[in-house]
This record gives sequence, C-alpha cells and structure tokens, in this order.
Amino acid sequence: MSFLTPLYLIGALGLAIPIILHLLHDRPKNKQAFGSLMFLDKTKPPVDRKRRPTHLLLLLLRCLALLLLAFVFARPFVTVDDPAAAGKRDRQWLTVLLDRSASMQRGDLWQQAKAKVETALGQLGPGDHFTLYAYGDTADRLVDIDAWQDSASETEVTQQLERLAKPGFGGSDLGQALVIAGEAIQEKQVEPDEQPLAKREILVISDLQKGSKLGEVQGYEWPTGIRVSLEQIGEDDQGNCGMEQVAARTLWAATESVPSFRISNSPNATTDEFEFVVQSATGDPLNQKVHVPPGRSRVVEMPAEWLEQTIQQLSIRGDAAGFDNTYHFAQERQQTVRIVYIGEDKPNDAEGSLFYLQSAFQKTSALGFDVQAVSGQSTEALPEADLYVIGNVVSDAQAKALDQAIRGGATALAIVHSDKQAKNLQLWLDAPELFIADVKSKDYGLLQSLKLDHPVLSVFRDSRFSDFTNLHFWNYRELQSLPSEGVEVLARFDTGPPAWLHVLRDEGRLMVMTAGWRPSDSQLALSTKFIPLLYSILQPVLEAKTQSHQFHVGSRIDVTRFNNGEVSGSVTITPPGEGAATVETADVFLPTEPGLYTASGADWSETFAVNLLPAESRTEPIPMDQFQKLGLPMDEAVASPGQLAADAATAEKTEANRREYWQWALLAVLLFVTLETVLAARGSRAVEPVMTS
Amino acid sequence: MEIKSLSLRARAVVEGFMSGLHRSPRTGFSTEFTEYRQYAQGDDVRFLDWKVMARTDREFIKKFEDETNLRCTFMVDFSRSMEFGGDEAGVKKSDYGRTIAASLAWFLIQQRDAVGLATFDRDVREFIPPRYRQDQLKTILGRLETQPAGQATDLCQALDKLASLVGKRGMIVLVSDFLTPIAELERSLNLFTSAGHDVRAIQVLHPRELDFAFEEAAIFEDMESGQNLILDPGLAREAYLEKIKAHNEALDGVFSAQGITSFRVSTTEPLEMVLLKFLQEQPARAVARQRRSPGRNAA
Repeated sequence: MSFLTPLYLIGALGLAIPIILHLLHDRPKNKQAFGSLMFLDKTKPPVDRKRRPTHLLLLLLRCLALLLLAFVFARPFVTVDDPAAAGKRDRQWLTVLLDRSASMQRGDLWQQAKAKVETALGQLGPGDHFTLYAYGDTADRLVDIDAWQDSASETEVTQQLERLAKPGFGGSDLGQALVIAGEAIQEKQVEPDEQPLAKREILVISDLQKGSKLGEVQGYEWPTGIRVSLEQIGEDDQGNCGMEQVAARTLWAATESVPSFRISNSPNATTDEFEFVVQSATGDPLNQKVHVPPGRSRVVEMPAEWLEQTIQQLSIRGDAAGFDNTYHFAQERQQTVRIVYIGEDKPNDAEGSLFYLQSAFQKTSALGFDVQAVSGQSTEALPEADLYVIGNVVSDAQAKALDQAIRGGATALAIVHSDKQAKNLQLWLDAPELFIADVKSKDYGLLQSLKLDHPVLSVFRDSRFSDFTNLHFWNYRELQSLPSEGVEVLARFDTGPPAWLHVLRDEGRLMVMTAGWRPSDSQLALSTKFIPLLYSILQPVLEAKTQSHQFHVGSRIDVTRFNNGEVSGSVTITPPGEGAATVETADVFLPTEPGLYTASGADWSETFAVNLLPAESRTEPIPMDQFQKLGLPMDEAVASPGQLAADAATAEKTEANRREYWQWALLAVLLFVTLETVLAARGSRAVEPVMTS
Repeated sequence: MEIKSLSLRARAVVEGFMSGLHRSPRTGFSTEFTEYRQYAQGDDVRFLDWKVMARTDREFIKKFEDETNLRCTFMVDFSRSMEFGGDEAGVKKSDYGRTIAASLAWFLIQQRDAVGLATFDRDVREFIPPRYRQDQLKTILGRLETQPAGQATDLCQALDKLASLVGKRGMIVLVSDFLTPIAELERSLNLFTSAGHDVRAIQVLHPRELDFAFEEAAIFEDMESGQNLILDPGLAREAYLEKIKAHNEALDGVFSAQGITSFRVSTTEPLEMVLLKFLQEQPARAVARQRRSPGRNAA
C-alpha cells in the first residue's frame, strides 16, 4: 500500500489529544480538606474504576476516528498490475549536443565525448526520438531518428560519429545550439496516431569551457517541459594560456604602431612562466620570457628588432594545452596615402597652407604619406590621390578633372581664400548663383552650431574636445546663394555664415572651409583640432588602407575589402597547407581552420592570417549557476501544455490501475463519530455521584 | 454539640460533679497551721514561734497551709488544623477542645481557683493571666467563643513564648491535636515541667484522623499549608495509620518522660467522661515528686 499524500499521516499525532483529555478527565475533581498531610504519601494517580470501561470505549472510538481521518487525507492506494500496460514504456525524445569546438582538441576529450554519446544511446528504447547535433560556431544536425530501432539506428549514429574524426577549430556557441535544439523540439507536432512523448531531454556533451557563448539563450524564452542535462568532459586541472593580438590604437594618435599581444593565463593554471617564441621565415627562433600569474593577463609588445624579420608565426611555450599555442601572423605592409595640394604655396612658407598640411601627416609603421603640390593653373593631368586639398583658384580644366575625380570616389577639401574661387565652387557645388563675399571681422570670428554627430566632427563629440572657443578666425568669407539641398553645414561662424560645408558627390566627398588655416586667416593650424580634423576627413581612406589581415576561424571575411578595397571579380583564396584546394568567392569567405591564407585577384595578392577565437583559450569550466540564471530547467522538467496532456493520459492510466480506499475510510470515520456521539450522550445522562467532603 | 453557647455547654458538663478539695502544690503562709520545723540558718525570722522559743528555748519555724488555690492556665490550639471535622463523623476538633477548656475553667472557678487562658496558633494570640475574679470566667468564655482564625501551628514556638509569660507554678492544660514534629516539642514541654508546672495534655483528634476512613479518591488539601495531594485513600490508608500510630506512641513517650499526664480523646467521646477522666487522674509529676521526696512536704 502506498500513499498519494503521505505527509498527512503526520496528522495521526493528533491521537495524543483525546488520550491527554481522557487522562485529565480521570483526575478527581472533589477536594477533601484534611488537618495535616504530614502522614500522607503521594500515591499513584487514582483511577476511577467505575467509569473506566465507558471511557475506554469512547477513547478507542475517538482515537480510531482521528487515525482514520489522517489515513483518509493521506490517500492510501494499492496499485494493481494491469497486464495490458505491462511491457509498455514512455516514449522520450533525446537530443544530444556534441561540442566540436577547438577547445575539445585538448587531450583525449574528443574520444571521451564520442564515447559519452554512445553511452547515452543506451537509454533509448524502440520508438524513441533521437537527434544528434555537433556544434561549434554553428550547430549542425547530424542524425535525426523519429523512431529508434535498436541496432539499425545505433549503426547510423556510430557511422556519423566516425566521420567526425576530429573536432573543429571554431568557437563554441552553446547558446545557439541549445536554442536550435529547443526550437526543433518545440515545433515538432505529434501525429495523432503517435504515442505522445513523455520526456524531452537535451544532453550537452562538452568540456563546458568558459569561452562558450550562451548569449542566445538569454534572449530566448526556454520552452517548458524540456530538460537540459550537462555532461562535462574532462577536468581542466592544469589551466591554459591564450594569446591574442591587441588592436592598434586610433590611427591619428599613434605615431608608431607596434604589434602587441595579450597573453592570458587561466585562474586555475599551475604554471606562470611562459616563453614567447617567434619563428621567422629565416634564421633562428627568437624568444622572450613572459611571466603571467594565474588569472591575469599581460600585454607583450613585439621587440623592435623582431619587426625587421619576416614573421609568420608566434607561439607560446610552457603551456600544457597546446591547441591554442600557435598564433599566425600576417605582417602588415606599409600603405601610402597620396595627398595632392593644389595651390601656389611654397612648401617651406610658414604663412601658407601647404607647410602645415605636410607637417600634419607623419609617417607611421602602417602608413606613409605622400604630399604632392600642384599648381592650380597647371595644364598637366591631375595626379591620382586619396585626398585633394584645393587652396587656390584652379583652371577650368583642372576643376573639371577634380570634379570627375571626386565623383569617382576621391575626397577633396576646398579652402576658400578669395572670391575668385567662386567659379570653381559653382561647378563643384552645382550652384550657378553662388558668389563669395569677403567678411572683415572687427575682432575675430568664432565657430558655433557644430554638428558633432557628423562623422567628420564626431571625433570632437566628447565634451573634453568639443570646446572650439579658443579657435579664432581673423578672415573668412561668406558663401551666398548656396543650394538648399545637398550641402550640409557642419559649422557656422558666430555671425551666421557657414564655416565648414560637406557635400557628397556620387561616390566621393567634398569639404569646403570658408576660412583656411593660414596664420593670417585663423588659429586652426596651431590648434589641437587641426590634426584630428584632417585625419577625420581622411578616415574612410585610412580605414581602407589599414585593413586588418588578422581573422578568426568562423568569422565572415569580406573579400571585397582586400587590395585597399579595389577588388573586381572573384577572389581566389588559397588555404594553408600543401595541396589545399583553392576557393573562389566574390563576396564572403568563411575560414574553417587557422593558418596563413592567400587571397589573390587578377593583379594583386595578399596574405591574411586566421587564428582560433581567443574565447576558446578560456578552458576553465563555466560556473553551473550561470545555467540556472539563464532559466534553463536543469533539475526538473516543467510540464508544457503538450506534456501536460501526455501526463494526464499517463495519470489516467495509472489511476485506472490504482485502487484507493479513502472513501471506505471516510465512511468508517463517520460511523465511529456517530457511535462516539451516542455513547457520550448516554454517558452524560447517567448522573455520576459527586464526592462529598 | 447541640448547645451552641459555650458557657451553657461548660455548665452542663460541670454540673453533677462534686466539688472536691485539692491540695495546692505549693505550701505557703496562711492562717491554717500545718506543722513546726526546726529553724535552719537562712529561714525567715519572722516565722519563728516566739512563744515556743520562750518556753523551750528552741527555735521552731511555724508552717501554714497556702491560702491560695490552684493557678490553672488553659492553652488552647487555635490553628486551622483544629477546624477539621464538623461532619457526620464527628464535631470539629476546635469546638470539642474549646468546650473541654471552658468546662474545666467553669469547674475550677467554682472551686475558687485562679484560671487563665492562652490561645495560640503559630504564635501566642491571646494570654489572660490566671486570676480569681468574678468576671474572669466571663472573660475566658468570651475569648474562647471567638472563632479561631489561626494559620499553621507552630506549637513549639508558641510554647516557648508561653513559658516566659506564665509566672508562678501552676497547672497548665494543653489542648491541641499535637500534629507537629515531636523532636522540638519535647524541648518546649521541658520548659514548663522544669519550671515545676503541672502540665496536662489533652490531644483532640477527629475519628477520621484516627481511622482515615475515606472512600473516594480526592484532592486532599492540607488545612494549614494549603498544599494539595491527589490520593486514593484505599492505597494510602495503611501507611497513614502506621504513621499516625507511630506519632502518637512517640508523643506518649515524650509526655511520659516529662511527667505529663496526657489524654487522647476523639471528638465523638462524651465530654462528661473526658472531664471525669481528667479530674480523676493524679498528676503524674506530683506523684513522681512525692515519691522522690516524701518527707519534705509531709513533715
């Protein structure tokens, strides 16, 4: 016999109440005064022999009634074996998520993981649903069997596992895999003739390293009724050391950019001494000792003398887990930015514009600047440039050539120094009515109404840099009859006329300044705003020129950005390793393993490096409470509407096999209570003699 | 106890008894000559018989019968335990005891004896020195008639105090249930006997105290301490009877050792019989003393 609610049996403790009451009732009530109790000893509690039988019966009835009441509430039942139900078992859906991220390359984790999958198959019975996903950056469904058949299905799964000889090199997006698996279970409709699924479980077989991404689960409402269990493979008892390249600082602030690397040691690491080794294409390996305490990270700059070598690969020695110890490095070539100044200034004239322009652009390891001066009246063909700075009147032919260059994608900066430039501006701004008025300020003009959210001025958006009140303009011009459309005013003078204008022309851009940086015009060249402003104007060009050639496995590489963004047609990608098949692509390439790749077009070729995701190096386990915080039902399944129906069916079946006796017990309670009432009433009618004193 | 008034009750008890002379325990000086005695050094020369000395040239002292009669003090226990009774089994011990005291007082006053009264419970409540006066009986009966509102008995403490109050030698009649520890009592009684008092003890007990014939279980309440005890009398009786017997025997032993004449009376006994017994009884101490020194008083 079992009980549905056995806790109610505690109510049987209530038996003590009638027993105590009966004991109290047996105490004599009458008092007898006596001269002195000095000769009397305490005797045993006196028992009233005359009333005992009646009381005992009442007590018995009362106790039985209470006992049965507790029994009724506990819902006793006896399960009767149903021969028809015997042999049947509940159908379940088991989904296995097998981690094949790069961190699974450690030791024999992969073999262990595959063995765990095979072990998990043992719990499946005929008719169960089984799904196997292998996940890294993405989750791939390898097996999906609707109705499990013992040997045939097991062979299928084993074959699929054998095909996965090695884990991948990608990251581990556990969150995405869980969501995909969860959605698949949720969306599955049970056919009317199918046996309902009593249990839905997702089994994650993984090293559960901290670098796993779980973000996707955070924004996903986990379907009820799907239980998640985790099978952690291996113990990270030695820790791991990871390496990643640190991104260079802002281009215009860095005079010299040296590649630097962040070496991170995991908190549970047993060692803190590592060696940073560079394998150059020629010569002996170069090394440098690095001390990184457990749980810390350290940025190491590549020594200057190493930069003279052709470096393709860096590695860490002294780390137990070797899967992430090699870093492939594609050395950046210095890119040249061509700037053409059109004007009559002399390069050494400190009163002119060119002098300051040359000084503003300084060579770095990544970028070289080629500033060329061209006369505005030159009849020679306009040289190609990334930035044209126009400081004087140009001939019509040159103006047209410039207009074409701008429309073709070049960037130009026109500085209005005289009203004679009106004709040029009419052409470039499509404003035939435009004329230039010279403004002679009594003291000086200030900038106001700056559009700091415009990409050109966004560099000054921080309140620390947005103060322009120290920038004084002695001479400036006013452009009148400007077109109402297409011209963006980035800043105005405090007297109202526009100071800086920005115009988009087809694929190129033109910026107009109505006051230059010559010392006779303004303080701009000497202010701290000058260099950031020029770099900001050049930003799109610099970004294209300083395109990084470092990528991670699984990242989408936009091949059109190679060759300074000048790519036409498809690009041939040659993966690392001997005899690797080349890949032709016109837009995106997804690298699957680390190494140095070569991208080549019709007349160009570039090398780029692909490395493991830095997150994969974080091999310490994820704290288990993180899963609970994400709302994953780790311990007990919560019934979904579908499962509720299934549960109801199961419950019905169970109830049919259950023989409950509480109704009979309740009847007995009523009987005892009635008897007790009758006996008690009879007892109270018979007046008992009261002891007189 | 059909007669409510204590004085009437006492009178009814006393009537019918012959008044008999009883010798004063002290020889003193009165008009009635008793004997001559050879003068000894230290005797008062006032009592020399000058005439005999002139005739015989010998010094004789004249001795006379003491003029004063008996000085009797009744000491009556007014504690709460004496209130037990008043049912069909017997009258209250206090009523019975007070009636005995009143009857004897009446009787003695009629004999022109000096009678006093002391009532006590834990302490001495009232003390009327023995006197022979016209209104002495009235005073004593009036005091005896007040309802005892006493508390616990501390017989020994009360007796110690009374020993200092009672002056001249005389008769002390103790009326109590003597339900008190024995050991202390002996010492207290010794104060009286050693002072030459003729102590007589009347122990008044209710029949239930003697037979413990209760039937039903009850909460027994000590009348003095208020202490409760749930008892089945059937189970407790045997032990009780043994204990009270032992107590009474011990008490008798103490009285006997002190030369105290004692009577144990149950409240169901007729009072006349008790009085008769009391008056017929020779004082044990007097007998003992007379036996010890027969020549001194009889010379």
